[in-house]
Amino acid sequence: MTSLNSELLSFMALSDVDEAIFNGMALRLFAHQFENNLPFQKFCQQRGKTLRNVKSWRDIPAVPINGFKDLTLSCVAPERCERIFMTSGTTRGEVKGRHYHPNLEVYDASMRRNFAQSFMQGTEHLRMGVLFPTPLAMPNSSLAHYLDLALRHFGTPESENFMGEQGVDVPRLMAVLQACEQSGEPIALLGASFSFVQVMDALAERGVRFSLPKGSRLLDTGGFKGQSRELALEDFYAQLGHAFGVNAQQCINMYGMTELSTQFYDRGNAQLPSVKRGPHWIRSRVIEPMSGLEMAAGERGILVHCDLANYNAVTTILTEDVGVMQDDGFLLLGRAQGAQAKGCSLAVEEFLKAASA
Amino acid sequence: MKKLELFAGYLPGLRREDVHHKTLRFDDERLSVVVHVPLLTPEQAHALVQRVKTASAQHLKSKTVSELVVIIDRVIAQLLDIHHPVRQLAQEVLPTVTGFDAEMLRVGLTRYLQTFRAMQLQRFVVEDFDNPKILDEFQPRVSGGWLKAFGPEALVHVWAGNVAGLSLWSLISGLLVKAANIGKVASAEPLFAGWFAQLLVETAPELADCLAVVWWPGAEHEHASPFLAQADVVLAYGSNASIAQVQALVPASVRFLPHGHKLSFALVGQEALDMHHAPDTARKVAQDVARFDQQGCYSPHVVYVQRGAKVTPLGFAHYLCAELAAVQQHMPRSRLTLEENQTQAQWLQALEMQAMQDNSIQILGQAQDPWRVVYRDAPCVLQPSALNRCIQVVAIEALSDVLPCVSPMRSLLQTVGLALQPEALLEIADQLGQVGVTRLCAVGEMTSPQAGWHHDGRFSLLDLVRMVELEGSAEPLAEQYAKYRV
Repeated sequence: MTSLNSELLSFMALSDVDEAIFNGMALRLFAHQFENNLPFQKFCQQRGKTLRNVKSWRDIPAVPINGFKDLTLSCVAPERCERIFMTSGTTRGEVKGRHYHPNLEVYDASMRRNFAQSFMQGTEHLRMGVLFPTPLAMPNSSLAHYLDLALRHFGTPESENFMGEQGVDVPRLMAVLQACEQSGEPIALLGASFSFVQVMDALAERGVRFSLPKGSRLLDTGGFKGQSRELALEDFYAQLGHAFGVNAQQCINMYGMTELSTQFYDRGNAQLPSVKRGPHWIRSRVIEPMSGLEMAAGERGILVHCDLANYNAVTTILTEDVGVMQDDGFLLLGRAQGAQAKGCSLAVEEFLKAASA
Repeated sequence: MKKLELFAGYLPGLRREDVHHKTLRFDDERLSVVVHVPLLTPEQAHALVQRVKTASAQHLKSKTVSELVVIIDRVIAQLLDIHHPVRQLAQEVLPTVTGFDAEMLRVGLTRYLQTFRAMQLQRFVVEDFDNPKILDEFQPRVSGGWLKAFGPEALVHVWAGNVAGLSLWSLISGLLVKAANIGKVASAEPLFAGWFAQLLVETAPELADCLAVVWWPGAEHEHASPFLAQADVVLAYGSNASIAQVQALVPASVRFLPHGHKLSFALVGQEALDMHHAPDTARKVAQDVARFDQQGCYSPHVVYVQRGAKVTPLGFAHYLCAELAAVQQHMPRSRLTLEENQTQAQWLQALEMQAMQDNSIQILGQAQDPWRVVYRDAPCVLQPSALNRCIQVVAIEALSDVLPCVSPMRSLLQTVGLALQPEALLEIADQLGQVGVTRLCAVGEMTSPQAGWHHDGRFSLLDLVRMVELEGSAEPLAEQYAKYRV
């Protein structure tokens, strides 16, 4: 395990990798997971996939994210895992997806290397404000850990988490933002998309706007999840600009999932939808979900990610997100909605609604 | 690529240039169709309903049922004629509009239209009225007095777009009871009802103002209300959600007849599973699954298969795979949207996860197959499949084992396709009727209800009418006032 860890760390440290090198690592991890993770082995066998006929990272069967709910996807006994990240459980009631991490060495390295490049963009440290609960409050949230990591490694000593028990401490946040405005020190605010909406609503209520110093930036992630008003992306970034004086180019959206160990970032949201990109240890495809065939260039499909930092669970996951491949990344077009039946035949979704009524 | 521009609906008394239209687009690799659907102002809608009511009172109510049967039969004959320009237009356009395969539509449409020939229509009427003349004039009753059935003054139909031509059932029912018919077409299939109306009026010009085919967006209050508020009977088809939206706009005094979501299944007995019959049984079930890609309320979602024959339920499931593959060759499944594809994928993924923990579940078929068969070796409650040729085959011991599987779905049950020995027919029909089923037929015929069927267990015509009784007491009293009294 440690050798695999260090191998991955050196893999991530490479400046870039070609298809062959990526494949080599992906297949090595596939073999490791196939041999050490029985539920995954069974899943592969059900799909007719074995060590023999998986010849490229594209052949690795993608586990639907629901697999993280129904199966124990871990090469190491769960009780020997240092950390378990869980999904928020919004879609299937109380059943939560679980991602087992024997330790966070690889996860943290993946996060830091990518964050430094995609968000910090050459700056070593920035004053930061986090609008999301701490890992202490939410020990099973990968996002809480991620944001804490950002704060500890990339934040200046004055950086802080603004989340109190009753939500964001708006007066405290306002005081800090005012101080930054006066001193000219740039600040980065990071949090869930819905936290930003809540804060913007609170600021609007007080009639307060900020014009944050040059170099300030915002990072939002995760969408609104029914926790705030639902906003069209155009409106969201326009309102962020209005409330904080940070232009859409400096508003970075992070696309991450509990089931992954690597995140995707865009290069600002002046143009929508923005292209999401990941580092060289993650590759994505867009497929037709029933056949698993890759969509033609420019066509919408369901996103599949092969994340080599996911060394303990499974490298390759099938999301429920719609995307379109681009030259150097993909467009994220939201969650795939189930189809409505055209007439009087009962569609599954409607049935579930009726059955639970 | 060929382009076509069409106007949907039928609006007597309104000039096309005076009507605002919305545009619906339908494209496939062969054809691009632009359909203009009419969006009337409340004033136009009101005037239209009045016009149709007045004309129907004059020209439709004075016709006898037999005369109407002759007229409808002539219209259907034209639609059945594959050389008729309207039929040709239908065959050209409907595959693009509905997404269904052209061959499937051609065969399906013909089989469907055949149920509206004169003889079937006579049967349709007599199914609900022992004496059809009761729709024309007061008829004497055995128990004394006189009786006449009056159709609604204004019957509003709200159609769904799942099965091409679905509108004909209720529109023809409405005509047979001499109602002023106002039908709202679905955005998913806005054309067929208008074509029928055109042909009807060409065949019987005196009926020109007796019906209208309209459209409004969703259940938008301001557009739907002018129609619904003037109806005395409203018939609505579609999802439970869309039916609820319509119902909310229907005044309490109006008779509301909803046809919401339904679940259907097939039941195969061991006699249909010897080496000789099994492939044929599977072929028939495959037809039921493939026709209209399970979008109909009568389409099967599960096949319950009895054990004990040479061909096991699992063997049957494999036969079904082969037959679905064969059907795909001459009746390809419609092309799915990403959303439909994802619905199927999630259904399948959930079953895949179950299969990993439950050895009684097997998923048959390859990733690239445009159909999926899931086999279950233990009884399970009837569940909807993901549509578009996804079906579960469930093994049972005795035929009656199906009852606990389907009875929890009582309010949703509709059709059962049967492949059973004669001795079992009436008994199982009785038991299934008891738990909520309303129609039983042969496998292979599930999507072709017989003329005069009782949709969802209701009366197609009887539900629409109002019986007017002239009681026996009036007659002797009247005699007392006669000039010739003694």
